Amino acid sequence: MDKKQIGFLKKDCADAASWSLRLLDELKNQKLLIAGGTGFMGSWIAEFIAFLNDNHQFNTSVVILSRNTDSFKDEKKHLATRSDIQFISRDIRNINELPPDISYIIHAAASPDNRNHVSNPIETIATITKGTDNLIDSAFKLLNLKKILYLSSGQVYGKNPIQKELISESDFGSFDCNKITAIYPEAKRLAEATCCAYSSQYKIPIVIARPFSFIGPYQSLSKPWAINNFINDALNNKTIRIIGNGEPIRSYMYPADLVVWILKILISGKINTAYNIGSPFGISLKDVAEKIVHIAQTNVNIDIKFNNNDSSHYVPNITLCENDLGLKINYDVEDTIRRSIAWFKLLPEASILE
Amino acid sequence: MRKKIYIHDVSLRDGSHAISHKLDKAQIIAYCQAAEAAGVPSVEVGHGNGLGASSIQIGLSRLEDVEMLSIARENLIKTKLAIHVMPGFATINKDLKRAFDIGVDLVREACHCTEADITERHIAFARERGKEVIGALMMTHMASKEILLEEALKMQSYGAEGVVLYDSAGAYLPHDVNEKISFLVANLNIPVGFHAHNNLGMAIANSLTAVESGARIIDGAIRGFGAGAGNAQLEVLVAVLQKMEYETGISLYKILDAAELAQDKILEEIPSIKNLSIISGLSGVFSGFAKHVSRLAKEYELDPRDIFIELGKRKVVAGQEDLIVEVAIDLKKINSTNNSKANG
Repeated sequence: MDKKQIGFLKKDCADAASWSLRLLDELKNQKLLIAGGTGFMGSWIAEFIAFLNDNHQFNTSVVILSRNTDSFKDEKKHLATRSDIQFISRDIRNINELPPDISYIIHAAASPDNRNHVSNPIETIATITKGTDNLIDSAFKLLNLKKILYLSSGQVYGKNPIQKELISESDFGSFDCNKITAIYPEAKRLAEATCCAYSSQYKIPIVIARPFSFIGPYQSLSKPWAINNFINDALNNKTIRIIGNGEPIRSYMYPADLVVWILKILISGKINTAYNIGSPFGISLKDVAEKIVHIAQTNVNIDIKFNNNDSSHYVPNITLCENDLGLKINYDVEDTIRRSIAWFKLLPEASILE
Repeated sequence: MRKKIYIHDVSLRDGSHAISHKLDKAQIIAYCQAAEAAGVPSVEVGHGNGLGASSIQIGLSRLEDVEMLSIARENLIKTKLAIHVMPGFATINKDLKRAFDIGVDLVREACHCTEADITERHIAFARERGKEVIGALMMTHMASKEILLEEALKMQSYGAEGVVLYDSAGAYLPHDVNEKISFLVANLNIPVGFHAHNNLGMAIANSLTAVESGARIIDGAIRGFGAGAGNAQLEVLVAVLQKMEYETGISLYKILDAAELAQDKILEEIPSIKNLSIISGLSGVFSGFAKHVSRLAKEYELDPRDIFIELGKRKVVAGQEDLIVEVAIDLKKINSTNNSKANG
């Protein structure tokens, strides 16, 4: 990463710290393990904690556990070379001993990329379910353990028969468990139930978060999600193609908000409670595409193909986090897209495409 | 509002099978210009088995892929330039990148109907480069509707913007089409299409059944110019869909002109349903095998029908052309053994 990109991330971290320092005080002098820590969320947590250490004397250290830490070390040298960030290169399913002074664990191990879920469904299930089992088992031995945060998914809500504009933590629908597309959410549900079981039977302190949708730095535009494709097409002067009618409502949280929310739920979330993480500002895919074209200052066409009548909503109700944990949203839809495009424009062309 | 049907023209790709992949420059220019004039939405160009498939085993193209695509590109403006891609024959670095540099608009990412997993990287790569990608499940008579849905869902997850079921062996009857197409239409978020072959004389009927079952993409070839007994005859499709008040955006007179031109300048013979095609349809073997089977039957002094039936028993799929030789050798041995017993 070059200086401009690092500067961009530092600016985001400074903005996040400007409103959240008092909320995160308990993180000071703690050692945090992030399982699956080389992905989008893990990278942001490492970035933000490094910033808090450098600028606000948090003295927090991070251990990143991941199957493959090499690409993280290559791409994020400014983090990988720090003394407050360490690495364990192991599969979460095989680990049996964690550094003994760990006080908090964030379990973020599982790719949300739906292409992987359908190509490697058994691996997907095993990583989520066996991985969760094994990580919590390993955490038994930690004398200083204060809490584990399990990062589940907003997808666990399934299809709700009554379509609500905002999905609350108790709004469970269903899905057809015999479909290949149900692999990921079903595994996530089982992992949540596993957390509940350990919490109940062995009193392990576990809290759950259900992330929805995000866009911003450390995300790849090659991911198969609408907004990522739209931005990729806009930045490459290609027509933005919307397969359906453009009516599905989605929301996107900017990662500088996300990282504060994750850390706050970790330290202050109630045991055995699940919290939605995401933006409550719903927007149709058609409007997302139009905003991207406007903000990116490009003339690309938007081709709505009307191939289906999907008008689903996937937007979280976040009042639980707002009321119980004092969290708030600092980036509306416009800010999120504007800041994201500014970031992606900083990347070399190959990085945008690959 | 009249429903729109997207007609995808496979003449210059599937038709390559019928002329042993010997398309020349003048033919590509003439047909692309005619298709463009008729308002055909997309024209697929290349070796019969798609990008990167030209080889000694399954037949060498007269022109390199790059040459064919460059010629077509120069002669297509509104009509999209499409390619048929099977992972294994084509690779990203060797083939796809070059095809995209030439300016291909649309990718038909194809695989055997139970192997959608292998298309993930190609679909992702094409989408990342802003190309339109349609998934193609081939030999779909070999799998149930449930299996086909699962494979189609994979392609949808990878980023395919449509999925087309290929009746590669021309083995479908209308009720098979209705069962599978309507099931996929009901369960996918992307449009579903159908690619017919005419081995049992059902290509147009099956295509219409597909449309009536909810398919929105239909493949056709001019004069039926395709492997084996050929595909759904494009100009007939346009006429019949027009009669049924579907909108294709294709000018009937001009596509009829294109058919005349193709008959004069490209087709060595007008596809017809020969005995072997019927056998290939009944045995569920890819129509593109017909020429190889005929050749090897002569070489090994066998009845080509026996070869097809045996290939059907072995459930061979496109790309396994080398197995035809194996089957011929095995049948020859069996015949020799039987003859010895009869004489002994």
